[in-house]
Amino acid sequence: MILLAKIGIGVVGTAVVGGTMLCSEGMLLVKVREKQVDGKNISLIVPAALVPMTLKFVPDRHLARASASLHPYMPILDAAIPALEDCPDGVLVEVTSAGEHVLIAKQGSSIVVDVNDANEVVHVAVPLRAAHSAIREIAAAAGAT
Amino acid sequence: MRIIKTTLPLFVVLLAGTTVVAASSGRYLHVRVSNPGQHEQVRINVPLAFAEKVIPAISSGQLRDGKVHFGHLSANSVNLRMILDALKTAPEGEFVTVQENDSDVRVAKEHGQLIVHVVDRSSKDKDKEKVDVTIPWEVALALSSDADGDQINVEAAIKVLENVGDITLVAVTGPEETVRIWIDSNSGAE
Repeated sequence: MILLAKIGIGVVGTAVVGGTMLCSEGMLLVKVREKQVDGKNISLIVPAALVPMTLKFVPDRHLARASASLHPYMPILDAAIPALEDCPDGVLVEVTSAGEHVLIAKQGSSIVVDVNDANEVVHVAVPLRAAHSAIREIAAAAGAT
Repeated sequence: MRIIKTTLPLFVVLLAGTTVVAASSGRYLHVRVSNPGQHEQVRINVPLAFAEKVIPAISSGQLRDGKVHFGHLSANSVNLRMILDALKTAPEGEFVTVQENDSDVRVAKEHGQLIVHVVDRSSKDKDKEKVDVTIPWEVALALSSDADGDQINVEAAIKVLENVGDITLVAVTGPEETVRIWIDSNSGAE
């Protein structure tokens, strides 16, 4: 009985620690709502820490081109993303035109992109720290950095 | 009890003051491009603290190490650095006034600011295009600080911009579009 309890505590403890680690970098949120009558409604919520973690298992050859493209911009991204984390919340870019509205804002520790056009409404929230980790992971592929 | 009654309002005022100062410490560069005819508007709000950290990291095209190299301009006999150096010692007043059939240009140093005013009447539209550029003098000096003859120091200018008051740096009014670039402490673009 005691052995079972110990195993149970171990399993629950591992699940709690694992869950906490997964959620530590926030949640990646993607919502797409098509405006057509039979349009799709997609909601995707993923622990953001999963993205850089998953990228570790992607073979370098699949990331080589992205890595090469990212490499020249890494100093800028390495400066910009932490600087953005330190910035107060607010709208960074807003584009309004006939039938389309695009908003890029900083909310908490995430960058939020909202697009509302004639066909669909899209909402994407990307935690900055996880985005930075993912970008570094891609850039490091094939020994780019 | 009387001490608490006396000090509490003071504490509240102090707290409110601190909050206001803290809230106003962030400075923003705003860009707004409007095209009312097409119902289009673009608003960009850049925290200056963000720009200050990112600009030195950019090494692309003309912008390197926080400085813009404008060699192509000096090749056309316009050396901005020399102009800025000359303006440093010049007294306040009007420097350049050009009045032509299709355009007016005025460059002046007024109230500690470098002012450039251009009116372009060459457009076929009845509305003329106006460009107003106002650069606080300390920003103009920072642009030419610690830079070679063919460079302007953007990083230094941004650091100085954080300490200047609310100001419209560039205003362009055309027949179709208006552009405004300004500095203030609001995180939004209003």
